[in-house]
Amino acid sequence: MEPTQVYSVSDFQAVCNQIMETAFSGVVIEGEVASFKVNQGKFVFFDLKDEQSSVGCFMMKFALRFPLEDGMKVRVRAVPKLTNWGKFSLTVQAVMPVGEGSLKKSFELLKKKLTAEGLFAPEKKRPLPDNIIKIGVISSTQAAGYADFCKILNERWGGLKVQVAHTQVQGIIAADQIIKALDYFNERGEVQVIAVIRGGGSADDLAVFNDEALVRAIAASKIPVITGIGHEIDESLCDLAADVVASTPSNAAQMLSRDRREVVATIRGDIKRINILLNTEVDKRISEIRNDVVRVGQDIVVRITTVENEIAAQRRILDQLNPEKVLKRGYALIRGEMAIDNVVEITTSMQEIKAKVIEVKERK
Amino acid sequence: MTKKDKNVSDKIADLKNGVDWFYSDDFKLEEASEKYKELTALAKEIEKDLAEMKNEIKVIEEDFSK
Repeated sequence: MEPTQVYSVSDFQAVCNQIMETAFSGVVIEGEVASFKVNQGKFVFFDLKDEQSSVGCFMMKFALRFPLEDGMKVRVRAVPKLTNWGKFSLTVQAVMPVGEGSLKKSFELLKKKLTAEGLFAPEKKRPLPDNIIKIGVISSTQAAGYADFCKILNERWGGLKVQVAHTQVQGIIAADQIIKALDYFNERGEVQVIAVIRGGGSADDLAVFNDEALVRAIAASKIPVITGIGHEIDESLCDLAADVVASTPSNAAQMLSRDRREVVATIRGDIKRINILLNTEVDKRISEIRNDVVRVGQDIVVRITTVENEIAAQRRILDQLNPEKVLKRGYALIRGEMAIDNVVEITTSMQEIKAKVIEVKERK
Repeated sequence: MTKKDKNVSDKIADLKNGVDWFYSDDFKLEEASEKYKELTALAKEIEKDLAEMKNEIKVIEEDFSK
């Protein structure tokens, strides 16, 4: 048989790699980790196996974004490769734990590590800015959580300028997209807050929010980050790293916006209160004026009474000095020169008398 | 800033300042009636603005998958 093409070993290995790279570009494989080890602090080796088969995996330590241990179930995105020594292996680009047990284990290991680094320290948390107008949203625009977020935001408030970075929010490549979106907003500095939004899902769906690089990117964001991921009961490491945590996408929308109905109610309440205050002040002023009028009236009466009393007293004094009154008390009024044989006129209360002076002498 | 340039948040802040005046030592009954009329008009304007306000939600063109 005449061969159609003859390869050198190296060429054949290169062609095999090329074919596999084309055929399995970005292939995702699920299996259990075995023989996990890190060499020289930067090269990661492990076997990925299931009940029947096993395949060797290699990756760089910096690409390892979830803590791994033997026995953990993971999903890897990898490029199949035939090595120079003819050994088949997977060059892993990304790895993610799957299944409740593995996710929980990975979550706890990474949480412990990042807590020790102070990544989740309460003193690092920043409050949401006042008067939020410009919001950056990172979410999948097809996700129900995003629709809920927009609905609540539009119901509650208006005039907001929202920039949306459409990314995947689940799966092995989502973390890198979200990190790029965080970088996009931070580089431009056009928004006051970044909201990372994702509706509810299974533990596997939400696993991307426990990606170490993503958690670090959220913690390092210059712009405050609010997360609204999953349901109330879900907690991710991104939540722990964020400045503010909303329990759901809808809750995030509530925390980022005022409620126009509440504002209208407050305004109406304020106007009603100052109306009452104004009326009260007017009534008070009227009452003060009435009191003043009454007081002035009372003052006038007192003054008149005083004057009347004074006049009565004067009258009584004058009365006492009335000569008739003196005569009635038995006194008499004598008119004429007091000289012997002179006739004088004597007036009593009852009589007019003429009398002759018989004797005049000085009183002792 | 002219009245026309003010956004709804500025108007709400103005309204709050106006309401606070009624409870402050600066309160004068002689000025209160006029101020009350102004605030009532401002409150109506804010309600109208709030009813008409729409959010601007724009999806960025950048492809974050690359």
